[in-house]
Amino acid sequence: MESMKQETVQDSAIPHTPRVGVYICRCGGNISDVVDTDHVAEICRLIPGVAVSKVHTFMCSDPGQQTISDDIRQEKLDRVVVASCSPFLHELTFRGAVMRSKMNPYLYEHVNIREQCSWAHKHDPRGATAKAIQLISAAVGKLSHSTPLEKIRLPNHRRAMVVGGGPAGMKVAADLAACGIPVVLVERSDRLGGKLPILNRLFPNGQAATELAAKLESQVLSNPKIEVLLKSEVTTVSGFIGNFEVAIHGDFGPSGHATDIHTTVGVIVMATGFKPYVPTDGEFNFKRHPAVVTTVDFNALLSKQKGDARTFQFDGRCIRSIAFIHCVGSRQVDGVHTPAVDGRINTYCSRVCCTTVLNQALQVRQRFPDTRVYDLHQDIRTYGRGHEEYYTDASRAGVVFYRYHGQEPPEVTNTNGPTSPLRISVKDYLSWGEELEIEADMVVLAVGMTPGPCETLVDQLKLPRGEDRFLQEIHPKLRPVEISVNGVLLAGTSQAPMNIQETLAAAGAAAVKARAMFTTEEVELNPYVAEVDAHLCEGSGACLTQCEYDGALAMVEILQDGHTVRKAHVNAGLCVGCGACVAVCPTQAINVSGWRIDQYDAMVDGLVRDLTPTTI
Amino acid sequence: MLSDNKFNPKILVLATEACAYPGADAVGKAHLEYGANVYVFRVPSPVLFPEDFYLRCYAKGIDGILIAACGSDCPYRGAYDRLAAHIDSLTTRMKAGGLEIQRIRLTAICTVCIKAYLKEVGQLDEQLRALGPVNQSVAGQLQHLARARMRDQSQMSAA
Ligand SMILES: Cc1cc2nc3c(=O)[nH]c(=O)nc-3n(C[C@H](O)[C@H](O)[C@H](O)COP(=O)(O)OP(=O)(O)OC[C@H]3O[C@@H](n4cnc5c(N)ncnc54)[C@H](O)[C@@H]3O)c2cc1C
Repeated sequence: MESMKQETVQDSAIPHTPRVGVYICRCGGNISDVVDTDHVAEICRLIPGVAVSKVHTFMCSDPGQQTISDDIRQEKLDRVVVASCSPFLHELTFRGAVMRSKMNPYLYEHVNIREQCSWAHKHDPRGATAKAIQLISAAVGKLSHSTPLEKIRLPNHRRAMVVGGGPAGMKVAADLAACGIPVVLVERSDRLGGKLPILNRLFPNGQAATELAAKLESQVLSNPKIEVLLKSEVTTVSGFIGNFEVAIHGDFGPSGHATDIHTTVGVIVMATGFKPYVPTDGEFNFKRHPAVVTTVDFNALLSKQKGDARTFQFDGRCIRSIAFIHCVGSRQVDGVHTPAVDGRINTYCSRVCCTTVLNQALQVRQRFPDTRVYDLHQDIRTYGRGHEEYYTDASRAGVVFYRYHGQEPPEVTNTNGPTSPLRISVKDYLSWGEELEIEADMVVLAVGMTPGPCETLVDQLKLPRGEDRFLQEIHPKLRPVEISVNGVLLAGTSQAPMNIQETLAAAGAAAVKARAMFTTEEVELNPYVAEVDAHLCEGSGACLTQCEYDGALAMVEILQDGHTVRKAHVNAGLCVGCGACVAVCPTQAINVSGWRIDQYDAMVDGLVRDLTPTTI
Repeated sequence: MLSDNKFNPKILVLATEACAYPGADAVGKAHLEYGANVYVFRVPSPVLFPEDFYLRCYAKGIDGILIAACGSDCPYRGAYDRLAAHIDSLTTRMKAGGLEIQRIRLTAICTVCIKAYLKEVGQLDEQLRALGPVNQSVAGQLQHLARARMRDQSQMSAA
């Protein structure tokens, strides 16, 4: 079979005899418990071009990286392969290591023999060992076709756009401007503040929401570095870190006319916040009975209470009892809750509702001693510092608690018209599953959070969302305010349910990250863009028909041997390196640098190369 | 363990950097297993491969190819649709040229699509074992034809 292979196709020509160093990581046993790393190193010495082949317990450690540097010098290596974990973890580490030894970082190849080998073939050590060898052979093959590449350098526009003028957006804008970075703050509504104006006394310290809003707003409005655009929205956005082109549509023309602004920003911060969950028609009798309201509505009702009545007032009536129901639109259960139009249910916890309920319940009990309060919950999650006190205080103030199971939510029925009390049936697990009936003049639904409206930016920038539809950070712990699109940051509840304290902490972190992106005059991009081999290009223009990015590719006329000829030309700043052009070129003149077709061909050659010692 | 003379197909997975490659990583991270005859190459987008590349893979002895793309999550405009069109045309030619079309599969794998990944490589492996080794010389002829066709087409449109 082997000989037949040789007959059918020959190895792609090797243009250069490289000196490759191959380093195999044991990963402290994560790899070497399955893959016979010593054997791999031994066999890899047989691959044409390999000058050095070694094993190390932790390649990513300082001594591991030092081995590479020493060999580059002493063994005159000009290509390096490390076979270790996924490239997403340490490709950059080793690129950095070879760069420090004055080797071009793009002459480095990373081979994944942990996630995609030792961990995935635990019960097949022989197979895993053989696979590791072939993958390294493929990488060596690729390197024999690699050429040094230079990063693309483009101007870094020292200006940030913050989308959303809630607590998160205001904080990011204020912090960034305080460091001297000009900010354009885009807010779709006609005022700053986000949800603050609809809140009342804030947990955990009872501060008036209006006071906090005023403080943040004055920090924003007093700084001339911040341009606030109200009643405006981003209509188009494209580009990359340092160079995002945005169009903003809004009522900010000279006489309040709708106008479009086009601008370039280096960083975008997503502070688009949340939308309170809106109960469906009839959910707990919502919209069917006027006294069934949400916690958002109830905040407004609390602010509107006048005089020194001992009973809470609603619609000119005395409300003698209020029942709060937790987890409305949060922690939904498959099969119990009706999915939204997109077919989803919200299985997540919205995190702020429990303390919100206790905060509101406590205010009722303190201000209206003749109004009884019932609290129907699955669990009480008062997780923040100073939040648990709300629970203790509410219990002391006489709030009566009932506990239901998620699969058996309470039922609310209308007894007799819009002014009559509501009846709530609940299976209460604080009394060992007893079926209880409660009558209440008012029902308050503790609504959860759903992601704010940011579709335009999500679609155009290809921002990833999590299972819960909120914007998804790169790593929940290590990179909590960054998203996989370089130059875009997250602040506040656009990312996940958060209270104001967490929102502002996240916003502060995003501002610092954004500031750090402006430390250089230029941004460096990987050189993975299309390149044209002018000798091979015959000017067919086939590539142009495939390109989706305006200006990335053009036909230009150049003088060649006294004749004017048409050739394809790439604008590296606009090309995204998708390679749509590559597939159609009749002469294989166009390629994506670093991911060339001849490199892939060489990888396949390496993959099928017979490396059993006897046949070499 | 496999006996020495039993056919063990070589499977190449062309996995997108944004979705399927991290998806394949996720399988390993979950310590779920699949055959060691499955090799993953990372690609920005498989839209870049001309038809003859796939045929060349077969000619070199790759028995089956799984193109694991991003589907609707593709970070590049229009790339997924173009890719699907390439694969459509490739399968037509494979069929006409006598190469089993079960040797190519196009699918979308997301960064956490562990089950989908295992299912796709598992099914491809099963199919390839039933088919036996790829006919490398047929594939070699087809890849030359495909290249020649691309040249001709461009010369015709230039004329
Ligand atoms: C009933 C209730 C009570 C609460 N009580 C408290 C409390 O007592 N204490 C506490 O700490 N937290 C409380 N919270 C949580 C608090 O509301 C949030 O933590 C906070 O509002 C989050 O701020 P944000 O800036 O992330 O989002 P938001 O406040 O939602 O602000 C987002 C802003 O972005 C704008 N926007 C959205 N999309 C776009 C777009 N595409 N373009 C332009 N602009 C856009 C919106 O108009 C809005 O102004 C409560 C929440 C609820 C629902």
